[in-house]
This record gives sequence, structure tokens and C-alpha cells, in this order.
Amino acid sequence: MNMTSLNIVLVGIAALFGVGLYGLLITRNLIKIVMVLQILVKGVILSLVFAGKLSGNLGLGQSIAATVIVADTIVAVVGLALAVQVRRRFGTLDAPQISTLKG
Amino acid sequence: MAGILILLVIGFAWLGAVVVWLVGDQRPKAQHWLAFGFSALAGISSLLLLTTIDSRPALDLWFGPAFGSLTLVPDGLAVSLTVIATVIGSLAVLFSMDYMRGEAQLGRYYFLVLFFIGAMAGLVLSGNLLFTFFFWEITALCSYGLISFHNDDPKAVRGGIKALIITQVGGVGLLAGALLAYANLGSFQIADLLAKANTLPVGVLSFIAFAFLIAAAAKSAQFPFHTWLPDAMEAPTPISALIHAATMVNAGIYLLARFQPAFETVPNWSASVMAVGVTSALITAFMALTATDLKRALAYSTVSQLGYMVYAIGAGGVLASHFHLQSHAVFKALLFLTAGAVIHSVGTRDMRRMGALGGQMPFVRNVFIIGALALIGLPIFNGFWSKELILEVGLEHSPLWVYALMLFGAALTAFYTFRMTWLVFFGAESDSLHAHDAGKAMKVSLALLALGTFVTWLSFGGFSKLLTASLPFHGLHEESTLHMMEMLLSAPATWFALLLVAASLTLFFILGRKFALSQNPAWLDALTDTSFGFESLNNGVVRGVNFIAEKLRFTQSGELNWNIFGIMGGLLAVLLVLWWSGVK
Repeated sequence: MNMTSLNIVLVGIAALFGVGLYGLLITRNLIKIVMVLQILVKGVILSLVFAGKLSGNLGLGQSIAATVIVADTIVAVVGLALAVQVRRRFGTLDAPQISTLKG
Repeated sequence: MAGILILLVIGFAWLGAVVVWLVGDQRPKAQHWLAFGFSALAGISSLLLLTTIDSRPALDLWFGPAFGSLTLVPDGLAVSLTVIATVIGSLAVLFSMDYMRGEAQLGRYYFLVLFFIGAMAGLVLSGNLLFTFFFWEITALCSYGLISFHNDDPKAVRGGIKALIITQVGGVGLLAGALLAYANLGSFQIADLLAKANTLPVGVLSFIAFAFLIAAAAKSAQFPFHTWLPDAMEAPTPISALIHAATMVNAGIYLLARFQPAFETVPNWSASVMAVGVTSALITAFMALTATDLKRALAYSTVSQLGYMVYAIGAGGVLASHFHLQSHAVFKALLFLTAGAVIHSVGTRDMRRMGALGGQMPFVRNVFIIGALALIGLPIFNGFWSKELILEVGLEHSPLWVYALMLFGAALTAFYTFRMTWLVFFGAESDSLHAHDAGKAMKVSLALLALGTFVTWLSFGGFSKLLTASLPFHGLHEESTLHMMEMLLSAPATWFALLLVAASLTLFFILGRKFALSQNPAWLDALTDTSFGFESLNNGVVRGVNFIAEKLRFTQSGELNWNIFGIMGGLLAVLLVLWWSGVK
């Protein structure tokens, strides 16, 4: 792998992670939160594969990445299902408005 | 062999805890019997352990590089305390069968009691300081849970939390000392610390020594931490007998005795230990003199007697101290359980409302008098021999005026014990309370303990052999029971002490009976209510925590985005620390 493609992958990881993080910090809509979380995790998965490649444990990196994909999908499914329930119950998807446990 | 027995002692207790819990509160009878069965099995295993005394570890369990290996050492000091914890533990459980009959949530009660018994055995048997600390904290937790057992009573909850806070001060001391020892020796093993103590820098060793002294004082309710024990009396009485008289409060004495050879050379350490002991013994004896609550009076007397043991360790008498610990565990458990029988029967703890109960409950009266005489220290009772032994050590190794103060303490002990006995069982009937004699299970455990006060001192020879054979660092000399008797009976100091006790009793009969019933002056009540002004420690901690919590409330905004911001900040901080410390 030459220097250019290495940099491209690194920039890709940073961009995905950065977009996801920025989204998490500013979003209030539950469905959007699930979406930006997905983007963030995609960056993480990419970095796992990349780290596997760099350290020579390609198989290890890929298998962990596959595991994270599965776990991440479950997070998305549960998150969206929760969002649906929240919408039904509270009539809104705005995160601050549903914080009924706030003391 | 010894390894299996140790595992059986702790295993029976902890397995019993889980089983009693699982049986469920719908079957109280099964719970009573199972709890008694398991604690008795643990007691039998620990008695068998007496035959396998050794100074080397019997078991070596590897817990990874961070914790080191948990060695379990069945030496004389550890096994004698294990026997006290399990045997008195099973007697207290037996007593509970009558005392706790009809109470709700027995599962929780017996779980905590059995969990405590196992942890106490682990605490003394562990040869690894870090695990000693873990067991130490488990006993504190059980003590808290049992003091607050009646958790619908705000006084009980407050007493439990107070005990937890103050014993935590001691826990921090123990942990700090253990970690410092680890930083300098690279091992948590107690044997290593004892062997290499004089290779440590003086500053480090004195820090460890004083940290352990704080730990011991907080756990054993010694001055200036003595305030938690009286408030711990909200616990059911068998718990007061087991945890707050016979076992857990002895953990501090155990710690001091265990490390006495290592810390002896630390400048001022022995003198500080002695000062703590004398101060506790005297001020709590005064407080016992004015107490009107039966259990609080006994609690003050416990602190006072523990003060005698601490004093003996300061004077270098580990054997005398532990001999008194053994006697005290028996007679104080007896006194507490008897007090429990009285309280259970009349439904109040106020001694001013009792009086002339002796006629209605003759058995209870008789065993209480036996316990009281042992506490006063009359010959043929175990309390006499051990207390005189401590005074003998004190006469040899401490300044004369300190010895005189301790003698005065012994006289005070006689006075307040008699006042207590008089107020409860004799004198004039004040409220016509209806009392009934103790139940069957109560009677059995009381009778066994009463028997113990007559005979346990006979084991002195064997006890001293156990300790000398298995404690290589302490430099103890073996003594036979006969030699001990001869030494004490031929010493003029013993007869002088007895004379003083007799004088104190006479004084009580001449003017004390009036004094016993009279109202305390207001200033005295105020002084004892605030424990001579040392309540501020607990109050300070509580107020400090509340203050900080109030100030930090704003960080808990509940805003999702802020929380993510915090998480990211934390991640960044970890990365920065890693980068700064040069981890690649």
C-alpha cells in the first residue's frame, strides 16, 4: 500500500468519525441520532479493517469488523424501535423533551 | 488438610448465606435451622483447624499479577479468631432462633450474618494484605446492613450509615498502608512485610504503621472514632453480641497484634497505641457510668475493654491482649445476649424503666450476673485472669501513672457493671413491666456462653502454645496455665487491683444505689450525647458530601448532547494521559 492510498483511507476514517461525532453533538432528533451513530460506527469499522491490514493480522481485523457490524445493526434496530415507541408515547422525537427522569 | 478446612469454614458460611436466601421468607422455620446448621458446620470446621496450626500458608490461590496470590495462613492468631467468630457466631444464630421469631425478612438477616461470619474468617486467615482489605470491607458492609436491618426506623438507618462512614476512614487507612507497602516491597504478603520491615525507609514504615493504627482505631471504635459503636446498638441484639462485641470490633486489635513486631521500632508508635487505648478505656468507662440505655451501656463497656487490649499491645503484650480478647468475646457476647433476652421480654431498652426483673426471669438474671462478674474481673472467671494479665504487662512496660489510670478504669468497670445489674434486675420496680424467662434456644446458647466464662481461661497454656509455635516474628514465650496462675496470684498488683474493685463495689452499695437512680446533671448528658465532642467527625463527612453533591448537581443536566460531549472529553483525556506517559 503506497503513501497516497494510506492517506486516503485515513482521511476517510477521520471524516466518517468526525461527521458522526459532530452529528451526535448537535442532533436532537432520535432517528437522526441513530443515523449519525451509524456513520460514526462505519468509521470505526473501517479503522478496524485498516488496522488489521497494517499490523498484518488481516483476518483478525476483518473478523472483528464483521462482529461490530452485527452488533451495530442490532443497536440500529433497537434504537429505531425505541424511537417508534417514543413517538407513540410522547408524540415527539425531540430528545430533551422526553427526559422525564431529569431531576 | 488445613487448606481444605479453611475452605470449609468460609465455604460453609457463604454457602449457608446463599441457601438461606434462596429458601425464601415463606419458610422461616427452615431458614432458622439451615442458618444454624451451616454456622455450626463452619464452627466445627474451625475447631478442627485448631489441630493444624502452622505459620506457613496452607493454601495459595493465584489471582493474577495485580492482586498477587491469596495465601491462607492458619497460624495461632488467625485460627483463634476464626474459632471465636464461628463458634460465637453459631451461638448467636442459635439465639436468633428465639429472638428473631416472627420477624419479617429473615432471609436478609441470616444472609448478612453468615456472609459476615465467612468474611471475618477470611479477614484473619488471609495472608495477603489486599485480600485482608477486601474481607475487611465485606465485614463493614455486613455490619452496616445489620445495624440498619429495621430499615423503616430512621434511627437504625442513621446508625448504620454512621458506622459505615467511620469504619471507611479506617478502610482507607488500611488500603493506603497496604498500597505503600506494595510500592516498596512489590508484594502484598503479610509475611514479607513482617520480614522486611526494617529494610523499609523509616518514613515509609511510620506512615504504614500510623495508617494501620487509624484503621484499627476506626474498626475497633477506639478514640477518636469511638462514636459509632453506641449508635450501632440499633441492630438486633444477637448482632450486637456477635459483630459489635465479639468479632468485628476485634479486627482492629488483630491488625495491631499482627503487625506489632514490625511497627515496634517506629518512633512513638507504641506510645501512640497505648495513648489511644488508655483514652478510650477511660472516657467510655465514664460514659458507661451515665448511660441509661442498657445496650448503649454495654457498648461503652465494649469500647472500654477494647481499649485495654489496645493498651496491652502498645505495651508489647500481644499474648495478654489476645487472651483478653478471647475472654471478652465470651463474656461480652453473654452479656449482650442476656440483655437481648431482657429487651425481647420487656420491650424497652431504658434501664430506668426496668428494675426488679430478677424475680420474673431468674435464669436470665443468673447468667447476666455471671457475665457481669467476669467483666468486673472476679477470680475463677475468665475476665479476671486476662485483665490481670494485661495490667501485669502494663505494670512492667508502661509508665506507672498510665498503669494507675488503667487500675482506676478497672474500678470504674466494676462500678458501672454493678450499676447496670442493679438497675435491671434488682432495686425497686419502676414500671410494672411483664417479663417472661428466655426461650429454649436462648437458654441453650446463654448456658453455653456462661459455661465458657468459667472455663475458657483454662485454655491459656494451649493458647499461648498455639501463638508461640506459629508466630515467628512476635518473639513470644510459651507459658503454662499453672505458671500464669502462680504468677498472677503471687503478684501484689493483682491483689491491689482486686482490693480496688472491692472498694468500688462497697462504694456502690454505700452511696451508689441512690446515684444509680438519680438524674444525670444536664452538662454530663450533653457531654456524653456528643461523645465528648467527637461526633463532629461523622457530621463533617456527611455535611461535606452533601455540599459537594449540591455543587456538582449542575453537571447532571440530563441533556444527551452534553453527555456525549463529556464522554468524548473523557476519551480525549485518557488518550492524552497515555500519550503523555509514553505508551506507544
